[in-house]
Amino acid sequence: MGIVEYLYGIFTSNMINIPLIKPIVDYLMGIPGVNFIVALILWRPFFAIAIAPGLGVLMLYLLWIVYFERKLTARVQWRVGPLEVCRPIRGLIQALADGIRYFFQEAIVHREAHRPYFIQLPILAFIPVLIPIMFIPAGEVVGIKSDYAIQLIVAFLALIPITIIAIGWASNSRFAYIGSVREAFMYFAYEVPFVIAVISMIFLYGSGSLYVAVEKQVVPGAILNPVAFIVYIIAMLMATSRLPFEIPEADQEIAFGPFVEYSGILFGLVMTLAYEKLYIMALLFTILFLGGWSGPAIPILGDLAPVIWLVLKTVVVISILVIVRSIYARYRLDQALRLGWSSMLGLSLVSLIIGVAVGWVL
Amino acid sequence: MMIKKVEPSLTERIKDHIDAITTAVIQAIKPDRITIEYPRERRRYPEVFRGFIVFDKNRCISCFRCAQICPANAIKMEFYDKYYPSIDYTKCIFCHFCVDSCPTGALKTSKVHDVAFKSLEEMHLHTTQITKVPDIVREDKVTVEYEIKGGEWKLVRKKELDRLEVEVPPPVVKPKKASCKEPESCLGCRLCVAICPQEAIKFDREKSMIKIDIDKCVGCGLCVRQCPMQILELKVVE
Amino acid sequence: MDEYYLEVPVEPPKEVRSYFIPIPPEYVEETYRTDDFLVLVGPQHPGSGHMRLIVRVHGDIIKEVIPDPGYVHRCVEKLAENRLYIQNIPLVERPAIMDAANLNLGYVRAIEEALDIEVPERAKYIRVILAELCRIGTHLYDAAILAVFIGHTTGFMYPFGVRELICEALVRMTGARFTASFIIPGGVRRDVDNKVLKSVYDITFAIEKRLKTFEKIFVKNPTVVARLKDVGVLTKEEAIKYGVVGPFLRASGVEYDVRKVEPYEVYDELTWEVPVADAGDGYSRFLVRVNEIAQSLNIIRQCIKRIPEGRVISDQICENGKDIRGNLFDSLANIVLPAGEYTTLTECGRGTAIFTIVSDGESNTPYRLRLLTPGWLYLRGFMESLKGERLADLQAIYGSFGYFPPEADR
Repeated sequence: MGIVEYLYGIFTSNMINIPLIKPIVDYLMGIPGVNFIVALILWRPFFAIAIAPGLGVLMLYLLWIVYFERKLTARVQWRVGPLEVCRPIRGLIQALADGIRYFFQEAIVHREAHRPYFIQLPILAFIPVLIPIMFIPAGEVVGIKSDYAIQLIVAFLALIPITIIAIGWASNSRFAYIGSVREAFMYFAYEVPFVIAVISMIFLYGSGSLYVAVEKQVVPGAILNPVAFIVYIIAMLMATSRLPFEIPEADQEIAFGPFVEYSGILFGLVMTLAYEKLYIMALLFTILFLGGWSGPAIPILGDLAPVIWLVLKTVVVISILVIVRSIYARYRLDQALRLGWSSMLGLSLVSLIIGVAVGWVL
Repeated sequence: MMIKKVEPSLTERIKDHIDAITTAVIQAIKPDRITIEYPRERRRYPEVFRGFIVFDKNRCISCFRCAQICPANAIKMEFYDKYYPSIDYTKCIFCHFCVDSCPTGALKTSKVHDVAFKSLEEMHLHTTQITKVPDIVREDKVTVEYEIKGGEWKLVRKKELDRLEVEVPPPVVKPKKASCKEPESCLGCRLCVAICPQEAIKFDREKSMIKIDIDKCVGCGLCVRQCPMQILELKVVE
Repeated sequence: MDEYYLEVPVEPPKEVRSYFIPIPPEYVEETYRTDDFLVLVGPQHPGSGHMRLIVRVHGDIIKEVIPDPGYVHRCVEKLAENRLYIQNIPLVERPAIMDAANLNLGYVRAIEEALDIEVPERAKYIRVILAELCRIGTHLYDAAILAVFIGHTTGFMYPFGVRELICEALVRMTGARFTASFIIPGGVRRDVDNKVLKSVYDITFAIEKRLKTFEKIFVKNPTVVARLKDVGVLTKEEAIKYGVVGPFLRASGVEYDVRKVEPYEVYDELTWEVPVADAGDGYSRFLVRVNEIAQSLNIIRQCIKRIPEGRVISDQICENGKDIRGNLFDSLANIVLPAGEYTTLTECGRGTAIFTIVSDGESNTPYRLRLLTPGWLYLRGFMESLKGERLADLQAIYGSFGYFPPEADR
């Protein structure tokens, strides 16, 4: 039983502190079998990865963003949006109904596809998407505390387009090929300005650790370096294939690009890939530019307050990005490449200079 | 009128961006919705609306005009005590040429436009089924009307049910009776005698001419269409 | 940089040979030997309408497009030979449903020219109002399809919402939302009373106001301008050489509109202008149609102000001048046109439509009905303007031309 006590010791030394439910926790810790599970759940790294701001919040966010995007777009377009799934709450669980529908649909694997890659790649694509969750802190609640968190997150985000190109290649179809080539081009367009903007913020704060970034934000990072703010927003739109840069997945031109041959539950998985990448980039955006988890402390929630502030700010950022979808048309590939390599590269170099200058002052 | 080539400068482009974004934001906050939540709300159509056709048996004179003019061949005549029309709604295109052709106003329109049938055979409605408005399940509680005034388009919702029947006065058509315009060209084939449903024509063998009984003739015109020499016509009775 | 091809024997993919595609196998092999790529933008594609396009692409540049029309061919001309003249009226309206009144008008004018029927003034004004309403409906539909092809979903919903007002105007006047079949030889089927005309007058102002929002969010949107400018350019000589018609010809600098050159109905008594542009690219084709909507609204308002009282059905057809109910069969079912060939030109929403009726003088069905819709006439110009553009521009040029396969295939 030495291992159990050893693990129990580790869990109780680093537990999250929420005064609101403290009486219930104290009571449950008294019971011999249950106290191990409760200590595991409330152990800070586990809480950060599995519940918030990790997988639990990710699931709720996916259910909510699909509904919110459709409702907001419908409101701009003079109509109502999804309404029928559960009429008393005006269709709030529409995404859940869609997900259940995908489970029951047949996932067809066509004859010319490379079968093992076709089926396994949507699942393997989740690895570079979910690993950065370990490094994102929310107050004291964090998975792995590291001084190089920003660099690691950016490096993992750079792996995702490779999996999308591989998905298109494995489909072995005419339109998937064109979609993969376009995804490769878009990857070149946004990656360099994006990395330079993040490097300029690292110079500004003086370190790659996210705790230092939030401590130094007396004034929000958006005002300290507004040029990097603009470049990051445009890079977010390009990286997650949202309008006006929805080029690899152009629905009308190449019939959904690399994902054209997917159906059933595999289709559900590849659709959520772009949304999860948006979540990670939006979390990084909030911490670098909007003050992260800093906000007025709520005494009864204790350690949960920074988590709530972080999630709330991220949700507001994503909601503002959703409305861009209903305003703009889709750019052409060479116009997006020209934008990335001329305007955005110039702006990101300007932001690098501003970052070095302000960082030397701070 | 010449349209000039558009070359927007940088300031104009930024202004256009801001215009587009503010338009969308204003619509998101206060939308100009025009959705009608059918079937809980129903639109009120004007009285001239072309819906399902309602047949009045007492006015019909079995003249076959509706069946012969239908562009889609959707009307078939069925025999009960006289010939009456039955409508096949798999073919009907709601052009209402039949309603416009009927000389006594036996066919009229209604405001029903959304009947659901369970099989294709059910869509062929017999005469007994078109004498009243087809029964539909009415789930609506609210009637919506478009109000367009001074450049504004608004939807006005009232909590009442819309009446689906339409009252329309019968057409004013002068009564006509059949008469022979060239009795000397008559062949004596007696096709007109055979086809008249009122048996109003008799053939006189001595004079080799037909005799039309004006009191029995209703002016249906079947004999006019049947005569191979085309010497019968419908004349207005004074 | 010179390119030269290696003579490596290459086998084209079997799908290009096994489908029923009207290109010879030698063409397919030559394409693959010269390192081009054949993309089949087929009938089941989110961005192609109902038509197959065989696109030969070199890298990202289109070298040639071969169209394969006929997917929605419904033999309108042959079906018309077995029906009475008046039964053909719903038939010729159906190829382009939004444009129904214009096609209806062209057919009925051919019959009136043959039988020498004089149409009363009030009927002419009502016909012009219906024709202009359908023209606005067509332009709105084409703008919506253009928006969805370049990815702008709001630009798709707004014109269809405004088109609901057009359908409302048509329902109040005729009783049916689009294919009204309201125009018959000798006038129109029923009279329209003044309350309805006043509501149509108000509807034009409501349309203008809603279209202002559309203009801010779509017509002036910089992404839309960037997508359509200098794309698919047809110069004036090319447009005339390839036989382009309608607003697409006017966007290339040629001022030709059938309503000004050979006016029919009351178009020569009203004051209106023909919008012309000289750039010949996708954006000017779109702007010409946007300006035509404004001109059509102007024409409708002038008609409503100037409409005279009187009959709506000619007295050669029917005695009752206000309503044809009860007399449609007796007056019009058995008309026989004198022997000969009668042709009319009409300006539909997308260009010039040519109707020709050949009659043998004895039968009450036409001997031959020839119908040339504008879509069929400008198909060649559309294909020529695609050469040298990028693959992503295929949908943008398709939308800017407003090609509608059911109208072209009849």
